[in-house]
Amino acid sequence: MRNKKDGILSKIKVEQITNRKIMLAILIMAISILTSISLISSVSLSYCCEKTTDGAWCQNTQLEKCNPAFSKAPTSCDATSYCKMGCCLDMKGENAEGTCMENTPQKVCENSEGVWADNAKCEVPQCSLGCCLMSEQAAFVTQSRCKRLSSLYGLETNFRIDIADEVSCIVSARADVRGACVFEKEFEKTCKMTTQKECQDMGALLTSNSSSAVKFYEGFLCSAESLGTNCGPSEKTTCVEGKDEVYFLDTCGNLANIYDASKIKDKNYWREIIQKSDSCGAGSGNENSATCGSCDYFLGSTCKKYKAGEDKVKPNYGDNICRDLSCKWKGKTYSHGETWCEGEGTSKITPESVPENGAEGAVLGNPKADNLPGTRYFRLVCYDGEVTLEPCADFRQEICIQDELNGFKAAACRVNRWQDCLAQDDELDCGNTDKRDCKWIALKGSIAGIDAEEACIPKYAPGLDFYTIVGSTAAVAPQPFQGTQAQQSVQANAPAQMVQGQGSAESICGTANVQCIVEYEKGLTGGEKCKKNCECETDVWKNKMNNLCSFLGDCGVGMNYKGIAGSLGGVEVKIEKGVDEGE
Amino acid sequence: MQKRGEEREFGKRGQITLFVIIAIIIVAIVILIYMFYPKIATMIGITPKSPQVSIQDCMEDELGKIVEQLSLQGGSLNSSNYYAYEGNKLEYLCYTEEFYKQCVMQQPMLKQHIEGEISGAIREKSKECFGKMKSDYERAGYDVNLQQKNMTVELLPKRIIINFNYPLTLTKGASKRYDHIDVILKNNLYEMVIIATSILNWEARYGDAETTAYMNYYPELKVEKKKQTDGTTVYILTERDTKNKFQFASRSMAWPAGL
Repeated sequence: MRNKKDGILSKIKVEQITNRKIMLAILIMAISILTSISLISSVSLSYCCEKTTDGAWCQNTQLEKCNPAFSKAPTSCDATSYCKMGCCLDMKGENAEGTCMENTPQKVCENSEGVWADNAKCEVPQCSLGCCLMSEQAAFVTQSRCKRLSSLYGLETNFRIDIADEVSCIVSARADVRGACVFEKEFEKTCKMTTQKECQDMGALLTSNSSSAVKFYEGFLCSAESLGTNCGPSEKTTCVEGKDEVYFLDTCGNLANIYDASKIKDKNYWREIIQKSDSCGAGSGNENSATCGSCDYFLGSTCKKYKAGEDKVKPNYGDNICRDLSCKWKGKTYSHGETWCEGEGTSKITPESVPENGAEGAVLGNPKADNLPGTRYFRLVCYDGEVTLEPCADFRQEICIQDELNGFKAAACRVNRWQDCLAQDDELDCGNTDKRDCKWIALKGSIAGIDAEEACIPKYAPGLDFYTIVGSTAAVAPQPFQGTQAQQSVQANAPAQMVQGQGSAESICGTANVQCIVEYEKGLTGGEKCKKNCECETDVWKNKMNNLCSFLGDCGVGMNYKGIAGSLGGVEVKIEKGVDEGE
Repeated sequence: MQKRGEEREFGKRGQITLFVIIAIIIVAIVILIYMFYPKIATMIGITPKSPQVSIQDCMEDELGKIVEQLSLQGGSLNSSNYYAYEGNKLEYLCYTEEFYKQCVMQQPMLKQHIEGEISGAIREKSKECFGKMKSDYERAGYDVNLQQKNMTVELLPKRIIINFNYPLTLTKGASKRYDHIDVILKNNLYEMVIIATSILNWEARYGDAETTAYMNYYPELKVEKKKQTDGTTVYILTERDTKNKFQFASRSMAWPAGL
C-alpha cells in the first residue's frame, strides 16, 4: 500500500492490507507462529502409545492418552520397534483366508494369529497377485486366497501368475462347456442342462444303479426335438443368480436361451445354445422390454421379477423383465453407474460457479450463495435405481469434480489444494492447476482506485475453524491503524468472532483486512469535500471487500448453509478520523 | 307286535353298524398313530426333537441377533475405539488420530476376530440350549451322555456355521450317537467382511476407497461412504435383497478445518 501525501487539507486514511507484500508478510508470520505452536506442542506432547486408553493401537498422541499397561515413548511411532508397521498375512492354518493387510503393527498382527512381514505395503512374494480361475468366475488375488476360494467352492486350484492384471483375469474366465445331458428316468427319456463333467458324474452314478445310458450333447438344449426327450418349449422365464439376463425355461425346468418373445415358437431357438451376442437386443440394456430379456448390468438393466408399479411394461411371456436401473433425481434421469456433483441446501458449490477469468468487477462465484460456511461438496451415485449421497471431506477440504462423456457423467471428490494460494505472487504460479486450485484476481482499480495490485486467492473457498472459542487472543493480531495524518479511517476487518477462533481462520481471514484512506479538502467557506477514494465510504466498496474476504474461506459477512445471514456482522467497518495535514 | 319286533330288529342293526363304525375309526387311529408316532410324539412333547433340530431352534434367534449387532458395529460387540453413528458404535478398523496420515490397521484378521466375538457371545446360550435338550431327553426316558468338548465358529460364503464338538449318546433300548451338532445361520457376513478388508487396505494406503468399483463387481451389494466432520469415514455395505448390513469406521488422511 503506498499512501500519497499531496498537501490535501484533510485525509481519510485508506489502508489496504491486501497489498501483496503486506499479505505475504502476514502470511509468513502466521505460518511461522502456527508452525512454532505446533512444533512446541508436538515436542512437548507427542508420544508413541502402543495402545491408547481408547483402545487404538500405535498412535502418536499425548502422554495422558497412552494406556499405562502398554509401551510408550516420546517419539514418533515410526521410530519405535513396538509399533513397527508391516504386512499382516492371513496364511496360517488350513482355513487361512490368504489376505494381506497393510500398515499393521507387528504386535496387533501376531496377537490376532497372523503372520507379520516387514513391509507395510505388503510388497512381499506371498501377497503378489495372480488370476484365480474358478469355472465361470475369476478373481485377481494371492495364491493362498485362490486356494481358499477353490476349496470353499469345491474346485481345483487354477492360479495363473502369467495373467498380470485384473481386467485380463476377468476376461479369462470361461464358462464350462454346457449342453444337454440325456438319460432315462422312470422309463422315460429325460434331460438336464449341465456341464460335460457333471453329466459324466451323473452317468457314473446312474449306470451303477441301472443299465440306462447317459449321453451328453454339447451345445444342445434339452428342448431340442432331435433329442427326443420329454422336455419341450414353454412360456416360462426365470432369472439366474450371478447372471443379468432373463432366460426361457423348458417344460422340465431347464434353462434355455435368453428370453425372446418373437422366438417362442421357433424350433431352432429351442434347439441349440445361442450366445448373448447373437440374441435379441445385443449391445443394449433392453430395459423395460416386453419382448427381449437380454439385460446387461453395465448398460443399466438386470433381470428382476415383474412388478406392476415399478416396471413400465409387462413381459409378453413369463414373469421376469429387464428392470431399468436408472435413477430419478430432482426431475432429471441419471443412468445406472453415473456419478455427479451437487451442493447442499441453498449453496451451488460447483466448480462451474467460478468463472475462468477473475477480471475486475467479475463475480468470482457468488459469495452469498457459494461455499457458504457449513457447506461441503457432495458426489451423488446412481446404482440399481437408487441415488446415494457421498459427502466429500468437510470444510471443503475436498471438492467434487465432474466430467461427461457422451452424456454419461462421472464425478469424484478430490483434495482442494487451496493452502498455498495466498503465498503466490505470480499469475502463472497462481494458475498452475497441476499444483494448486487458485485464482488470480485483479484488484487494481477495483478498490476505490487505489493502486492495489493483484492477488491469488483460493478457487474454492475453504471452510475454516472460526467457531472454536478458546477465549484467547488471536495468534496474529489485526493490523494496527496506520497513518498519522488521517482524520478518518474506513477499515474493513476480519469478523469479530474470528478473534476467538482456535483454528487458522483468523490468520487467513486477516489477510483480507483493508484500509482505505479517503482524502477531504476543506472549503474556503468551511465544510469539507471529498477529493480522493470517496468510494471507500460507499456500501459498494464495503460489499466488494466483504466478497474478497469471503473468497479466502469462511470469512466476512456470510450466510450459513441454510442461507441465513450471520448475526455478528462478519465485517467490521471502522471509521477513524485522521490528522489534519494543514494543522 | 310285529311292528315292535321289526323296530327292535332295526335298533339292533343300527347298534351293530355304530359299533362297526367306531371299531373302524379306532383301528384307523391306531394305524395312524403307529405310522406317524415319532412326529405325533414330538408334536405333543412325548419325544424330544432331534438334537440337531433342538439346538438349531434354540440358538437360531439369539445367533441372528448377535450377528446383526456385530455387523452394525464393525465386527465387535464392545469396542472402546469407535465412532458413534446413528445409534451404533462403529469400531475403527483402521485408525489414526493425526491429520494428513494414513491409518494404522486395528483388526487385520477381521474374519477371525468376528468368529471369536460370536463364539464368546453365544457361549451362555449354548450352555442353556444343551442343558434344555438334555433335560428334554431325560424326561422322555433317555439315558443321555453329553461331552462338551469344544465349539468352533466359522464364517463361510452365504452362511455361518457353529460347530459343537459335543459327542452325544442317547440310549433308550438302542443307542444313538452324534459326534457333533452344527447350527447354521444363512448370512452373507463372510462376503461383506472380505470386501471390508479390501476397503481397509485402500484406506491404509490411500486414505480413501472407491465405492463404485465394489458395486460393479458385486451388483448385489450397495456400498456407501459417509465422510464425517472429524475426518472419520463410515462405510456401509448393504445386501440389496435382504437389507443385511455391515458397517464400520475408518480414519485415514483426515483434513482439519483450515490450515
